[in-house]
Amino acid sequence: MALLAALLHTVRAPAATIDVAVKLPDGQPLADAVVTVQSTGKKLAPAAPIHAIMDQMHRMFVPEVLVIPVGSSVSFPNSDSVSHQIYSFSPAKRFQFPLYRGKPYPPVVFDRLGVVILGCNIHDWMIGYIDVTDAPFYGTTDAQGTWTAEVPAGQYHITVWHPRMREQTPTLVRELSIESRDRVTLTLQLAKPMRPAPMEGGSPSWDGY
Amino acid sequence: MRRISIRLALCATTALAASAARGASWELDLDLRAVTSNAATSVLDGGYGPVRFSEHQSGLQLGRLRLALDTPLGEVWKLHLDASAWGNAYRNPIGLTEAYLQFRPYPRDDLRVRVKAGAFYAPISLENRTGGWASPYTLSYSALDSWIAEELRTIGLEARVDWLGTRRGLPFDIDAVAGAFGWNEVAGAALADGGFMLDDRQTPVFDRVGELESGSGAYVEPFREVDGRAGYYGGMELHFPGRFLLTAFHYDNRADPASSDTVSHVLAWHTTFDSAGARVEYGPGWTLIAQWLAGRTEIAPRAGTLEWPFNARYMLLSRRFGSRQMLTARYDRFEVDSRNAQADGEESGHAWTAAYVFDPGRSWTLTIEWLRVTSGSYNQSEYVDRPGPVTDTQVQLAVRYALGSAGY
Repeated sequence: MALLAALLHTVRAPAATIDVAVKLPDGQPLADAVVTVQSTGKKLAPAAPIHAIMDQMHRMFVPEVLVIPVGSSVSFPNSDSVSHQIYSFSPAKRFQFPLYRGKPYPPVVFDRLGVVILGCNIHDWMIGYIDVTDAPFYGTTDAQGTWTAEVPAGQYHITVWHPRMREQTPTLVRELSIESRDRVTLTLQLAKPMRPAPMEGGSPSWDGY
Repeated sequence: MRRISIRLALCATTALAASAARGASWELDLDLRAVTSNAATSVLDGGYGPVRFSEHQSGLQLGRLRLALDTPLGEVWKLHLDASAWGNAYRNPIGLTEAYLQFRPYPRDDLRVRVKAGAFYAPISLENRTGGWASPYTLSYSALDSWIAEELRTIGLEARVDWLGTRRGLPFDIDAVAGAFGWNEVAGAALADGGFMLDDRQTPVFDRVGELESGSGAYVEPFREVDGRAGYYGGMELHFPGRFLLTAFHYDNRADPASSDTVSHVLAWHTTFDSAGARVEYGPGWTLIAQWLAGRTEIAPRAGTLEWPFNARYMLLSRRFGSRQMLTARYDRFEVDSRNAQADGEESGHAWTAAYVFDPGRSWTLTIEWLRVTSGSYNQSEYVDRPGPVTDTQVQLAVRYALGSAGY
């Protein structure tokens, strides 16, 4: 009973809000940027593992970028009418398996921290990214380039990352101290344009073999 | 008898269905052209005109009928067959332009190996990179690629190693390729005789260039082995996906120019060339391609060595509008020199191509292309009485319908 009361108290504690907005050099919003919030004060547990989906649609990984807590599993359902052979040789997770039509492959568990870069052995232009994090708060920016989290008061280290960014890492890291009921808005504007996104089906001039 | 054929048909259907279930795919393309041209009869039809359709061929023409099959054999092997008909049959009405077996294991760390065996195009072209070695930009290929389509094919083995920097978080990949081949020892003969063309007819493997029934009776069979020596090529690519591609390539068919076939007396043509190219992609749909190719071809019959240095280069600028429309302009320059007593085979020319591609739906593609070639050659003025630089113009409207099952 005392434990439950303590839990309720934690839940009811007035939280602070962090708003992150990421913009491209021309002021347009950047969607799918990974935001992770680590506590630099009181130790907070990593977020609980989830089950996420990275689909294959129009010969692309959808979403292109995924962030998951360590220990999470990811399904690759393949919504295309064609087969794929996906692989990764990133240190955080190495695998290779075929995705035939109508034959779902069992979910893959990501139990090590780091960025996993995925490719397809048939469609060379396909590239996807899974960021495996131990941050207690994480997510990706929406179509408006924003992401919001409710966090307890404390000191935080906030990182914004996208695989096609060309910025140096320090420009995308912020240290932050936040009190209860505070609302902090963090706006980041990239100085350099992004690298081009992989195109649906590959650009017509790409290697068709 | 009838029962047997029904059983055979059932077996074939079952085999096809089984291969489809494993991820086989096929593609059937029909490309019809409405042509208006004031050009002279082309090399393909026994003349020296530099474009595919002459003034006598204005009207409705078959652009290409293509059937392609891609069948996985297990997880890391595949078989690719590409057959086409071009409406001008020299040996067979339909021929294989490519037929190969490919081994493509998963990458080992950041290195990926691909091996091909069979008959296929060496990876020289920067514009012809879609199915059936077609160009997504124009109907007629550049002079450089038209020559490759006409006389070059790897009948042999090719190995390619890709270093996948992009899977290491870097912005580029580096690819190295090497091939060894035979049966391409008459490559260069059609170039030395007819010069460069701008067209899209690909010579099927073991077929010939030129009409046997034409007045001159001349034709070239580029896919022959004369001296038993293998040729080779090697190339490198530096690739920043979606932005930049840089290529370098060296080719040598290693034919002994002094040798000839003991039965047919066909001479071996020693052909060697280098090529370099770049493709830049920018912003919302701009593509710029520049490519250069220079080399020489020689024969050494009893009278002494005859040699034809040649070079061709082009620059192409293309702009996509959404996913349905594309506008392209290309400028080509080409020369065939002649270091012979006569100027036999000498040619110099340039060409402008403009094309608009409209893709109204999944199966249909409409293309309109205007092509103007200005060229002068010794053979044109000497043998068909067309002296000096002559300008030929060809306008084509192509309607293409593609059917297929995308197993891959």
